[in-house]
Amino acid sequence: MNAYVDIGVHAFPEGADTLKRLNLVAYHLGFSQIVATAHSPYWSQFPDSSLPLGVEIVAATVRDLRKKIAYFKDISTIVSVHGGDERINRAACKDDRVDVLMHPERGKYSGINQVTAKLAEKNEVALGLSLDFFWKTEERERSRLLAFQRRNVSLCRKFEVQVIITSDAYSHLDLRAPRQLKALARLLLFTDQEAEIALSKAPLSILERRVQKKEASI
Amino acid sequence: MRDNYRYVAFRLSFEDPIKARDLQTEIARTAKSLFGDVGVSKLSVRVVAFDGTKGLVRCDFRHVPEVQAVLASIGKIKNNRVCVTTIGTSGTIKAAIEKYLQIEEKIRRIISSYVTVPISGKAVRICGKEIDIIPEDRETIDRADVQFIGITIDDNERLI
Repeated sequence: MNAYVDIGVHAFPEGADTLKRLNLVAYHLGFSQIVATAHSPYWSQFPDSSLPLGVEIVAATVRDLRKKIAYFKDISTIVSVHGGDERINRAACKDDRVDVLMHPERGKYSGINQVTAKLAEKNEVALGLSLDFFWKTEERERSRLLAFQRRNVSLCRKFEVQVIITSDAYSHLDLRAPRQLKALARLLLFTDQEAEIALSKAPLSILERRVQKKEASI
Repeated sequence: MRDNYRYVAFRLSFEDPIKARDLQTEIARTAKSLFGDVGVSKLSVRVVAFDGTKGLVRCDFRHVPEVQAVLASIGKIKNNRVCVTTIGTSGTIKAAIEKYLQIEEKIRRIISSYVTVPISGKAVRICGKEIDIIPEDRETIDRADVQFIGITIDDNERLI
């Protein structure tokens, strides 16, 4: 039985549920672990005793992104970048200190191309597919994001970029069971095996890699 | 020829109670939005039983993953946030009820208690270890598009 992990869940005070509540619901859904991340503007709202494991860096410019990566790489376990802008997507994929590029398709275009995909593979930056658009958007917006994500999935398959699937949950009502996420991943042309890896082995390997990098730097 | 069906057991998490008819309408609407009229005709999806928190959906045996995707894509029913979680799949109604639906549901109690940890607000519902709070500051719940902040008994032991 695989251990399913959801990286990229947002807990209170950024999200609507505390981490304990999210852990309780995720356990009943079949996840072995959820990793809470906080967008960088909300990081300071968390008390020191309950800082999230990961950060999702929001940056307006490439220079701003690099400064924030340098700041967060030592205080956060998982460094992910809030994707969307193509320049930010490319800059994140160029930087080996970044672990995950989250939802790069939330911009004008699909977010990544073959150049960005090659950079991501070289620097071991994983692509985070947030499936929350299935239940948060409708009709035209959903079709647009679906088309972009399918394109990104085929690029990742061709250039062997690691992909993780996440629900990007802000409350327990956004969490979905692993079998449901796999069913949604099939609509993005994932095979069953690829979806299984994106929900279990890929996030676990990111966590292990991060811990090893931190130990090596110490 | 006799059609072959599968019965998908599901659990519904909600903020306000939902009627069976509204759930059926939303399932049909979401299926049509995702797969179109032709796709919906292939799925043959229909709510067979629903008691307010859990139920059974019937579908064509070849399209169970698509029906699971439809249930996962339901985010709101009549502007109330919901979450439909599939528990399991079975070939008969009897087996589905025995295996997946005969579980003890935790009783949902209405309470009224003012809390300050971890957020200032009024605790209004408790279900097992889960507590829902209406906060004084609405910024977080507006951001998450929900009505309540969710905590557990471990977050605030005074509420036990």
